[in-house]
Amino acid sequence: MAAHNLDVVVAGIRQLTPRIREYLLRSTDGTPLPPYEPGAHIELHTHSATSGPIVRHYSLIGGLGNWDDTPDTYRIAVQREDRQRGSAHIHDTFTVGTRLSVSRPKNHFPLDRRDTKSLLIAGGIGITPILSMLRSLVRRNRNFEMVYAGRSAEDMAYRQDIQRLGGTHVRLHISGPDNAKVLDLRTLLAAQPEGTQVYVCGPAPMIEAVLAAAAELGWDPLRIRHELFTSGPGADDVAFDVELRSSGRRVRVGRGVSILDALTAAGVHVLSDCRRGECGLCPLDVVETDGEIVHRDRYLDDEERASGKTLCICVSRTTGTRLVLDA
Amino acid sequence: MSYTDVEFTYEAGGYADHATPLVRNCWYVAGFSSEISRDIISRRILGVDVALYRTLGGEPVAVRNRCPHRSFPLAKGRLEGDVLVCGYHGMQFDPSGRCVNMPSMPIVPANANVRSFPVAERGPIVWIWMGNPDLADESKIPDTHWLSDPAWKSVCGTFPMNSDYVAMHENLLDQTHFPFLHPGTVGTLEYARSKLKVRREGDVVVIDRSLKDSPPPGIYGIPTNLMHKKVDRLSEARFASPAIHTAFAQIIDHDPAPGRPSVYRFNITHLITPESNGRIHYWWFNSRNFDLDNAETDKFLYEASTKAYLEDVDALESILNVVQTDVEPQFDLNFAPDKPGLMMRKVLYQLAAAESGYQTP
Repeated sequence: MAAHNLDVVVAGIRQLTPRIREYLLRSTDGTPLPPYEPGAHIELHTHSATSGPIVRHYSLIGGLGNWDDTPDTYRIAVQREDRQRGSAHIHDTFTVGTRLSVSRPKNHFPLDRRDTKSLLIAGGIGITPILSMLRSLVRRNRNFEMVYAGRSAEDMAYRQDIQRLGGTHVRLHISGPDNAKVLDLRTLLAAQPEGTQVYVCGPAPMIEAVLAAAAELGWDPLRIRHELFTSGPGADDVAFDVELRSSGRRVRVGRGVSILDALTAAGVHVLSDCRRGECGLCPLDVVETDGEIVHRDRYLDDEERASGKTLCICVSRTTGTRLVLDA
Repeated sequence: MSYTDVEFTYEAGGYADHATPLVRNCWYVAGFSSEISRDIISRRILGVDVALYRTLGGEPVAVRNRCPHRSFPLAKGRLEGDVLVCGYHGMQFDPSGRCVNMPSMPIVPANANVRSFPVAERGPIVWIWMGNPDLADESKIPDTHWLSDPAWKSVCGTFPMNSDYVAMHENLLDQTHFPFLHPGTVGTLEYARSKLKVRREGDVVVIDRSLKDSPPPGIYGIPTNLMHKKVDRLSEARFASPAIHTAFAQIIDHDPAPGRPSVYRFNITHLITPESNGRIHYWWFNSRNFDLDNAETDKFLYEASTKAYLEDVDALESILNVVQTDVEPQFDLNFAPDKPGLMMRKVLYQLAAAESGYQTP
């Protein structure tokens, strides 16, 4: 079960690209924050006056170049998504001194330190966990290759740090403003020696393309590790009301927040654990809704999804204005 | 970075003691190579319970001995090929710690990983790194090449001890206790009174000592058959890291009997891994470069070493018991022969302070 959150304060802000800002979060009392390893992330809890509570997941970068952040500091990078109010809220309201609550680090995307070769693939803001892995591989003098894809060089955060760190092992792939120049993943994977482990973080289509290329080449799917951040909101998400049948309570679920987080913020505590649609603890029975249920979990089977009678409240939602749950 | 929550307030000029946080960014001994096999064992190291086993390919593996699901000790599970299967609900973990199957779930949960620790095998020892894994540079593994060099022969042993690594290292650097705690084996009174030279090289403390024209102590004189003679004795004692102390001795016989060498070398390797503050694992090797095939010499050195080290165990356990239970505070006195130990304690204190985020000189 989730341990208590940590109190931090924004200690530094840096504009990395037109849309990406880096934030340094420091423990409010200067004591060391819990340690973490490459690939780890935190949940950042904040509150917007218009949308209510907001929870976002951000990878911990760990430092710059060969320098580690001090133990009292977490470094994250936030990309502003125009249609998502969570990141816009962070960009618009966070200043040095803003106090926040973050979860203890969790690692769903660990780097296997025994890899004979690691292939890192990053797309866009997916660079953040990949950069922490790159730092680890470089410092340990391990065999690796990295491809960092983005639409234009100026949109790619940490581009120069990464080139300095990774040297000739790093290739930048510029796909162009319409994403026209597609990264040839099949050729990239086919050229790998046996035993290469792949780590990919980026937009969902990129991760799907890597998995597809690996499948075409007959790779063991365990050779691809990926970080999806499934709990991030979709572009078309809307706000709606949840009604709890047993108590009659009604809770507003903003665009930038999950049903689970909205209920928790309203003092309604239901069972949950992973918050990423995997553990199967949080599904609640649906009594009715005036929209379609958008399932974003990995737990329910096709039949359960098609029934429209249940959903994982940590990641899934409705397209309608009202959702009545049997809780 | 500390995984344990030990209160620590740095004071400039301080010395480590039994309560100082343990240094984590260091290669420690996980065990003799022979202890780690296809049968999973568990061992608590720096407060963390670790499960140790080998893959089918013979590689040692160390993962946290605690299933991320319900804390069942993974060492009580079994191996299926290279995959560790928890004995409680059958969750399966590969050697990197990644969950590869959870039988009661329709998917493999991506968050179900168990922490793995860097390990490296060198001769008869498997080393483990419990600190920040990015700093686990294998080139920093202490040199113990004599333990696998055919020109040397070793006897070895291991004890668990209710002591702390600070006291253990201080004991190993303190050569004035030899004739009193270990009469007849390790020390002589002349040796205790001989002047020593001590120096600090980075985080290493080295003592050089020489004693000319003096009878050897039993542990060196009996296996070399020089008890009746006066010999020169050169020794180096080295606090090489928080995990290891080495003692190199040379016994020089200026008038060797026919067929016997004039220089006899002994390399003693002391390996210390804290289980927690207050309990340590201890492994020792006594290596020699003569009479390699002599089983009598093996037997003597094993028995004499065991006797001496058990005397150390008894003394250090008694000391820690007093320190932890006597309610009246005492600030122990220090004398000139304690200089090497104090230098070592300063190193340990500074290393611990740096890991707790303090700036140290």
